Order: sequence, then C-alpha cells, then structure tokens
Amino acid sequence: MQSSAHTADGTANVPRLAAHFASLEVQNHAARLGMWLFLATEILLFAGLFVCYGCYRFLFPEAWAAGSRSLDLFWGTVNTIVLITSSLTAALAVHYAKEGKNKMVGVMFALTLVMAMGFLVIKYFEYHHKFEIGTLPGRYYFYEGMQLPGITLYFTVYFCSTALHALHVVIGMTVLAVAMVRAFTKKDFGPNNYTMVELGSMYWHLVDLVWIFLFPMLYLV
Amino acid sequence: MAIANESHQEEKNMHEHHGAGRYWLIWGVLLVLTVVTVVTGRMHLPNFGLLLALVIATVKGTLVALYFMHLSEHRGANRIVFGVSIVFVVLMLVIPLADFGTRFRGANPPGSQYSDLQPPDIGTGAQRGRFGGGLRPNQTKDTPETPEPGHH
Repeated sequence: MQSSAHTADGTANVPRLAAHFASLEVQNHAARLGMWLFLATEILLFAGLFVCYGCYRFLFPEAWAAGSRSLDLFWGTVNTIVLITSSLTAALAVHYAKEGKNKMVGVMFALTLVMAMGFLVIKYFEYHHKFEIGTLPGRYYFYEGMQLPGITLYFTVYFCSTALHALHVVIGMTVLAVAMVRAFTKKDFGPNNYTMVELGSMYWHLVDLVWIFLFPMLYLV
Repeated sequence: MAIANESHQEEKNMHEHHGAGRYWLIWGVLLVLTVVTVVTGRMHLPNFGLLLALVIATVKGTLVALYFMHLSEHRGANRIVFGVSIVFVVLMLVIPLADFGTRFRGANPPGSQYSDLQPPDIGTGAQRGRFGGGLRPNQTKDTPETPEPGHH
C-alpha cells in the first residue's frame, strides 16, 4: 500500500490538527457534519423551486403536460446518464484517495470534469433551441404552437431550475478542478488526508441528486 | 498522543474501506432505473405516472446519498441533518398544495383548473413575446390589439 504516512518524513501528508479539536477523527467528523449542514441548505434552496413547480403544476396540468412534451427527451436522457456516470467517477476518486493513489484521483476528477463540460454543452444546445422557437419565460414567450394558460409559467420554472442547477455544475467543477490540480502536483492525498476529496465529491453528488429529481419532473411528467 | 490517534485513524479508515465494485454496482442500478423511468414516462400513464416517476427518483436519490455520499457508513448527526431537511421540504410542498386545493375558487389564478375566470392576455403572441410583451410600432398591424381588461 502506498500510504504516505509511512514515507520518510512521516507527517508529510497528515493534515494540520486545529487546537480546538481533540483528535483528527473529531476534526474530520466536524468537517463532514459542516458539509452536510451546507448541503441541507442547498436542498432547501432547490426546494423553493420544487414548490413553485408543484403548485403551478397543480393549477395548470394541461400546460405542464404540453410543456414537458415539447422538451427533447433524448438529450435529457443523455444528460442524465452523463451526470450519473460523472458521479461514479467522483465516488471512485474518493476511493483512490483513501488508498493514496493520487494519480488515479486526478484522472477520475479529470473524467468528471470532461463529463460536466459535456453536460453544459448539451444544455447550451437545448437552451439555444428554446431561444430560437420562443419557448421562453413570462412575457418573452413567442411560440405559437402552444398557447395555453400557464404555459409561460412552465418555462419560467424550467429556466429558473435548470439555470440554478447549471450554476451549481460550474461551482462543483471549480471545486473538483482545485482538488484535481492538488492530486497531480502536491500528491498528498492518502488514508489520513482525503477530506478535501470527500467533501468536493459530496458536493458533486448533490448536483447529481438535484438533477435526478429535475429530469423526470421537467421532461417526463 | 497525536501520532497514536493518526495511526488509529488510518486503521479505522482501512477497516471501513471496501472495494470499488460497490460503486460500479450502484452505477449500474442507477442506469437501469433511468431507463425504467424514461420508458414508463413515455407511456404517459394517466393517474400514477407522476407518482411512479417520483418514487423511482427517490430510490435513485437514496442510493446516491447512501453509497456515493457514504451516508450508510456515517453516524447519527449526519443522517439527522439530511433526514430533517427532507421532512421540511415535504412540509413546504404539501401545505401550499393543500391551500390551493381548498381555497375559494375565485382566489385561484384565472385560467387555472381551480378557477372559473378567463385567463388574462399577457401578450404571448408571436410578435409581441419577442420584445418582452412590448410592441414595435411597425409590427402593430400584424397583431390584434389587446382589449382592456374591462371590455370582457
């Protein structure tokens, strides 16, 4: 095993223990709990949009059915598969970080970033198509193929939720890119030092989790 | 003491550490569930389509949280934080829906299925929507005039 704790200077890749924590174990537990609290606030942020979706779907069911059928299900499904696979590589990065295989951590995060870029490119083409035909939020809507009460609200919810999700994709990519650079240059992730990889990967799984709910809500029902 | 803790920590991590096969298995299950939700979604099941899609999404989300996010290996506090936030999301969704379903019909948005009022013309025509509901002077002749609200 390539554990770096057994290398020449023993403490090279052991994270600094802050004075107010009893042990590294307690410190890591606190970091993880803090991340879960942050993710809970993120869930509640998206929940506001889910509630908008639920209420307006309840009031305008025909508009919702027409709106979801106008989206491109094929590219929506491709994006779901891309994001689930990127979540797998992020989870594998944590796995390799625990084993101290820094090169594999970097490679896994690089793959995750490539898939994240792919997700954003597909999303760009979907947005572009909507700007062309005019299925836009509120009073900017000019598509004549669907004229139903509430149809503009569907696209308001669509653009707000997918844009907020895309912003989270970009933030997650930044976090993972920092961890990737560190895995390739400092090479100091190991069994005692993988909190950064673990928490970055948890953020990425949240991005995946939100999309798992957005995809059937917007494209299927 | 610090050194002792670190070696103990490493032992513990290695004890919790398992093969990468589990992640690949979860990935496969997630892909299968994605295909299932797309196939059943395309059937447009009339009554329980939304329910089925949400159940599948919840199963997928639970798998991601438990195994990709390692919630299955964590102790109390982390689980409570996550569980409580889900409970509050459900509350926040159910209470407004109950309100819309039971309130006086005239108080619901016009044009919705729980209202008897005509939807307002919010200017979604092919010409006007392009300019945010405002009309350009040279295009007014293609688009019928929006009646004042009082003329209905």
